[in-house]
Amino acid sequence: MTPRPAVLFLSAMLALAGCTSSTPVTHDPGRVVLPVKQVPVPGRLYATKSRALYRFSGTALTRLRFGSTVKDPAVTPTGDRIAVAQLQDQSSTIVVSDPNGQNRQTLTPVAAAEGSLWAFAPGFDSDGHRIVYLSDRGKRPSSPQNLQPNDLGVWSYDFATGQSRRLVQPFAYTGGDSDPSYRPGVSDQLVYTTYLYGGVPTEAVARMTWMSLRTGATVYLSPDTGRSLEPALSPDGRFVAFIRAGAGSDDLYVMPLAPTYAREPQPYPSESAVLVQSGIIAQPVWSPDGRSIAFLMLTKGSFDLFILPIATDTAVHAAGAAQAVTHGSFLDADSRLAWSP
Amino acid sequence: MPALGSMNHSPATGVPDAPGSHRVRWIVVGAIALVLALIAGVAIYLSPVLALLEPHEPSRGRVAGVPAATPPPLDSKQRINILLLGSDNDQKFRQDALLSQTMIVVSIDPSTHQVTMLSLPRDLWVDIPGHTSAKIDLAFAQGGAPLARATVEKAFKIPIHYYAWVGLNGLVRVIDRVGGVDLDVLHPVLDDNYPNDFSDSGYGTERVYLAAGPQHLDGRHALQYVRSRHGDLLSDFGRSVRQQQLLLALQQRAAGMDLITALPTFARDLNGHVKTDLDLVRLTQLALFMRNLHPADVHQTYISPYVRDAISADGQQILLADWTAVHAYLRQLFGGDLLP
Repeated sequence: MTPRPAVLFLSAMLALAGCTSSTPVTHDPGRVVLPVKQVPVPGRLYATKSRALYRFSGTALTRLRFGSTVKDPAVTPTGDRIAVAQLQDQSSTIVVSDPNGQNRQTLTPVAAAEGSLWAFAPGFDSDGHRIVYLSDRGKRPSSPQNLQPNDLGVWSYDFATGQSRRLVQPFAYTGGDSDPSYRPGVSDQLVYTTYLYGGVPTEAVARMTWMSLRTGATVYLSPDTGRSLEPALSPDGRFVAFIRAGAGSDDLYVMPLAPTYAREPQPYPSESAVLVQSGIIAQPVWSPDGRSIAFLMLTKGSFDLFILPIATDTAVHAAGAAQAVTHGSFLDADSRLAWSP
Repeated sequence: MPALGSMNHSPATGVPDAPGSHRVRWIVVGAIALVLALIAGVAIYLSPVLALLEPHEPSRGRVAGVPAATPPPLDSKQRINILLLGSDNDQKFRQDALLSQTMIVVSIDPSTHQVTMLSLPRDLWVDIPGHTSAKIDLAFAQGGAPLARATVEKAFKIPIHYYAWVGLNGLVRVIDRVGGVDLDVLHPVLDDNYPNDFSDSGYGTERVYLAAGPQHLDGRHALQYVRSRHGDLLSDFGRSVRQQQLLLALQQRAAGMDLITALPTFARDLNGHVKTDLDLVRLTQLALFMRNLHPADVHQTYISPYVRDAISADGQQILLADWTAVHAYLRQLFGGDLLP
């Protein structure tokens, strides 16, 4: 092709006229997190960036040396231990350590008879005796000639016995379940996200699910259409913050769990209220005192850390504007946040 | 040595120039030099872009009886349809024998400032002009972009004005060049048998996991998201949904870029991995149009309600369309802009 100079010139002029960005995106600064210095973080808040673990505390920011790539940090309610999913090339394991990443203990196997294994999203129970996590353990061996589902189910690990057991069998070919956590204050309840397909035409559906470990009963906490995901329970177990996917946005919602939930589940317990709308938000987590929710929000092409003050006096609601803790930091939005005193 | 003043005399007439005419001559020479330098600079700047562009020849590769779609004039408000083709591995097969894993018609309506993306399932059973009936993805392998567009025009009656082809490496490079994309992954993606096209042999497999929810993906992981289908109950349809989601995310990401500085490097990276018959002026026009699009202006559409699973005479798993219903649906989408 030999375009005439006039065509080139015209194109260049058009480009000059209109190709400069009006809403510029930020560029990833690499293995660096950029904190907003004026915003202190109460307690210790953990997040990952490029699969490295960072701890925010006050105005201090510390990169914890794990010697490998990690995601999905979790902490005990007292903050004396931390758990992460440690990533290898084709597998991952759950690893527990002290808060500085020392004295590590691997809880789950890299592989089993069925092949290499994944393990993600650990979560401690209230007394730190058990961990709930995701795994594809128990799948059938698969090959390109004999494809088998390898969806993630919900498992628990008991520190006293050193044994794991499956708590939830996932629906096949949905990707499985996600975001498991024990309900604080009671020892026998779980909340997690179930992935399904539904509607006409068929589409992906994500429903928050409550489960009694005592009876095995499950109740969906969100409707059978749309996607409600990443439930995060308040420290007293009374509220669940979560992400509701809308048209072009992922908004932060909160919903009370009725006190009766401690004994008998009821479907569709109550109305949810929006906390932050018209954003792309991920990974909410409550502060240890229940007065704030931290989350990641997409801002100029970067997922950054925000903290929103919360009041739970008459009804749960935002008590002020969300404050940015980082800017232009490209934190891992597919990795959970964890917050301890 | 002549006096300097003699330079001001015309050798033809011997009449000295007026002092003003000397200045004008240098201004003209300077202006011409400036324009030439500007054109040369623009040519150097745009040369990587030009390397991606192929001449638009509506008759090239056409099959007898299939109407040719002439692009509407630049200044018109008529609809423009572009066939996006995504092929299998760039290196694994011969360049002229690639199955098209992705076929999406992007229809741009300048009059309403709306864009419609229509995914065509790769297993759809169609008449391929000049060949027997086959899956639609075979058209690109049999006759490249010309036959793919002719097949789409014949089956769907959508006039295809341009095409753009991207290989797997090209897609990864495009995404990495814009700094990755921000996507809401619709469900966890797990695939123990994902084709590892970037292995030495090109035939290996690897394990893939992507968590569900909003996240930033680089090129390699975005490709995994749109390409994996083993862990998706909706199989190829689910993959079409994800592919359109990626296109929208790419458009949003590119809208925030300074294309002046990015374009030449961008084009140099993509040389050999992207091909199109869009000309430079149209490409620029569309780029400007796309930058001002909001997500609500882009409509994601599928023909999945009008197809059903079937087995072909030679034992292939295929999709058969209810063409009457498909054409009625397309008339809703495109109004009178379909071929007769």
